[in-house]
Order: sequence, then C-alpha cells, then structure tokens
Amino acid sequence: MKINPIIVLCLFMMAAQSAIHASVAEKTAAVTVVKKAKSPKIKSHDGKSVRLSDDDLNDEYGRAASVPDPIQPLNRGTFWVNHQIYRYIFRPVSRAYDTVVPSVVRKGVFNVFDNLEFPKRFVNDLLQGRLKSAGQESEKFVVNTVAGVGGVMKVSDRIPALTDLPRPDTGQTFAKWGIGHGAYVVLPIFGPRSARDTVGLAGDIALSPVFWVSIWFPAVVWMPAVTTPDSVRTLHDRLGAYDAVTENTLDRYLAARSSYIQNRSKAASK
Amino acid sequence: MMKRQLPLLLLVFCLFSRGALIASTDEAEKRLKTAVNQVTEIAAHAPDRNALAAGVKPTLQNILSFETMTRRAVGPGWRQFTPEQQKEAVGLFTTLIIRTYTAKFTPGELPSVTFKAASSPAPGRVEIPTTSSYKGSHYDVVYRLDESDDWRITDVVIEGVSMIANYRTQFDAEFKQGGAEAVIKALNRSLATSK
Repeated sequence: MKINPIIVLCLFMMAAQSAIHASVAEKTAAVTVVKKAKSPKIKSHDGKSVRLSDDDLNDEYGRAASVPDPIQPLNRGTFWVNHQIYRYIFRPVSRAYDTVVPSVVRKGVFNVFDNLEFPKRFVNDLLQGRLKSAGQESEKFVVNTVAGVGGVMKVSDRIPALTDLPRPDTGQTFAKWGIGHGAYVVLPIFGPRSARDTVGLAGDIALSPVFWVSIWFPAVVWMPAVTTPDSVRTLHDRLGAYDAVTENTLDRYLAARSSYIQNRSKAASK
Repeated sequence: MMKRQLPLLLLVFCLFSRGALIASTDEAEKRLKTAVNQVTEIAAHAPDRNALAAGVKPTLQNILSFETMTRRAVGPGWRQFTPEQQKEAVGLFTTLIIRTYTAKFTPGELPSVTFKAASSPAPGRVEIPTTSSYKGSHYDVVYRLDESDDWRITDVVIEGVSMIANYRTQFDAEFKQGGAEAVIKALNRSLATSK
C-alpha cells in the first residue's frame, strides 16, 4: 500500500497544530477549552467544567465567583464593622507609619517579618509536594538571614533563581488536596475567608515564629515593639488591595466576596 | 483528477488554518500593545488624575468593547432590557469602567508591562497574559479579546479576578431584586457615590 507523503504531512500538521493550540492554552490561560461540536466546554477559575453559551450571556462569568454564603446577614454586619475599622483606625495608622517611619526602615521591617514567614512557605511547599520550591525557599532564607543581616536586606532579590518564588499557605495546600472553599465567612479584622481558608489561617498562625515566641513568652504578646510591626508593615498594601476591590462597585460586600474567591481559586491553581 | 488534487487541497487548508490562528493572535497582540503603549505615554505626562482620565478615554474607547462587557456583566438578564435600557446601561457601565481603570494609576508613575505568549482558548477568542510591575509590586494581568469585536478587550483578569465575573455577581443581585431598572439605578448610585 502506497502512502501519500502529502497526506501524512497534512495529518502531522493537523496534529501538531492542535497540540500547540492545547499546550499554549494550558500554559497561559486561566480558562482552558475542550472543543465540542457546538458550544465548547471550559474549565472555569474554580476548576468546574462549564459550557459556553452560544449567545455568550450565560458563560463562565456567572460561575467563576460562586460560593455558598449561608450567613450573609452576619457576614455583611461584620464586613460593615471591618470597613469602619479600616477607615477610622487602620488607614490613619498606616498613613502615620508611612509618614513617620523612613522608607528604608519600613522596607527593613517588612523584609525581616517576611523572612520570618519562611516556615509557613517551606512546610506548605513540602505538603504540596513541591520539593524544588522548598529547596529554593530554604536557600532564600539562609541567604537573607546570613548575608542580609537577619533578613533586613533581601539579598535573594539579586539571585534570579530565588526571585518570584511561589508563596504557598495552608489554605492553598488544602485546595491542592482537593478540599473546596466551603462556606464564605467574613472574620472580624481579618476580613473575607472561606471555611477552608479559615482553618488554613489557623495553620499559618501555628507556623509563625512570632506566634511561637508569644507561646513561650506570653508577656511578649503585649509588647508592641514585637507584634505591631508585623501587623502594620502590610497595612498599606492590604488597604490598597481593599480599595482596588471595593471602589467603583455596586455592592462592596459582593465585590469583595467575588474577588476573594476568584483570587484564591487562582492561587490554588498555581 | 479530483482524487489526485485532494491531498494538495488538504495541505493548503492546513497551512491556511494554522496561518489564520497565528495571524489572529498576532493581530490581537498588536492592538493590545499599541493601546498599552498609548496609555503608558499618557499616564507619564498627565499632571493629575482628572487629566489622566480624560487623556486615556479615547484610547480605552478604541480598545475596550464596552457593549460586550456590559452584556456579559449583566448576563442572561440582558434579554429583558429594552433597547433604551441597554443603551443607558452601556453608557453608565462605560463611565464606571473608565473610572475603575484610571483609579489604578497615579499620574507620573509608570507601569512596566511584560507580554507573554498569547493563547486562543476558543475560536474567535484570544487571551494575552502579561505581568505588570507597578510601584514595586508585580501583578498577573490577562487580557481577553474577541474577534467579533474587532479584537477589542472584553475582559481583564487581574490576579485571577475577572472584572466581568466580579460585576456579574453584583448585577445579578440587583437584577433579581428589581430587573433592568434596579441595575440601572444601582449603576447611577455607584457613579454618584464612588470615587
């Protein structure tokens, strides 16, 4: 039987084309598509398989941010209280911190406490089976602690292999293990969380050296010099993110809920 | 005769379809890059936020498909809007999107945008992932463009958060309470009170 080389070439090109198409989409897209005869099926941000509507009005957008919210009235109340706390306490504190404390000191404080979060990142890398990341995280910790004078300077930023490492947390590990969001809750001060991430938050706190110190020396908890910098250092960024999510919205609460769930789904897919 | 030409026709078809895929992502990328450069240039020279908003408006109107964005943000309820209500909703949502977009910029502070390989998750759709560095932070931003809209942006996904999915959640709640009127009222309220 004679095989026409042009037909073979065609088949090869068609196969290669679909392979390229699929691999590029898999690598870079938040949404991947499995082609069907009519409307294609896609995987949304939360990993659920949904079908694109022919008229594009009923596609993934309606499902990307869905989460059970059984205690919404209570959550809305807590959200309102948090909003007032952010507005009248945290924002002035953050402004004062940015004004009074020089930029170089702020950066040093940020770096020290960021370096102290090493156990959380390392343990969760291991729990997610990312051994290479765990190794790089350890390397980063040693470099910053030794060459960066206890983590004040982030020397690792000068080493390309140690920049932009993933920042895993316990909630993300639970997601990797296949545990869903569960119900949505708004915690006092901490803000939006899913049930899964609330348990994860407890895990993160348990992996924090600042928490260990407070267990061994309970009096230290009341020493603002130890505990305050860790809280204040991230205020500016957290308030910035909160503003970005809740400004120019129809409903602050729903906007924050939707953004939180989508963002966490993306973090879990990394 | 026809049997002999079949392989050749197949080859031409393969080449054409592969070429069309590359051409479509190229065209979408080209349009997006031009718009990003224009916005960056305007942001660099804008004396204040108002000037920035006014300056970038024509560029955004050229690269964003406000009609599609509004339709998708509203979802299935869009069919129950009258043509007048649809027009009003598009106008209000356009203002809200421009305000949301420009609120993220500080005049004079420039973002650095790195473009990654584009993909086509569905026919006629292209997604262009980028990394934006702004004020010392890095953000993953994915631009979604549609061929049916002359390769205009129909959604922006920042750190996994789709702008359209986010507004859909809010529009759904309003629509369930009072239909199209409630959505338009909520848009007006938001524009009157938000920054």
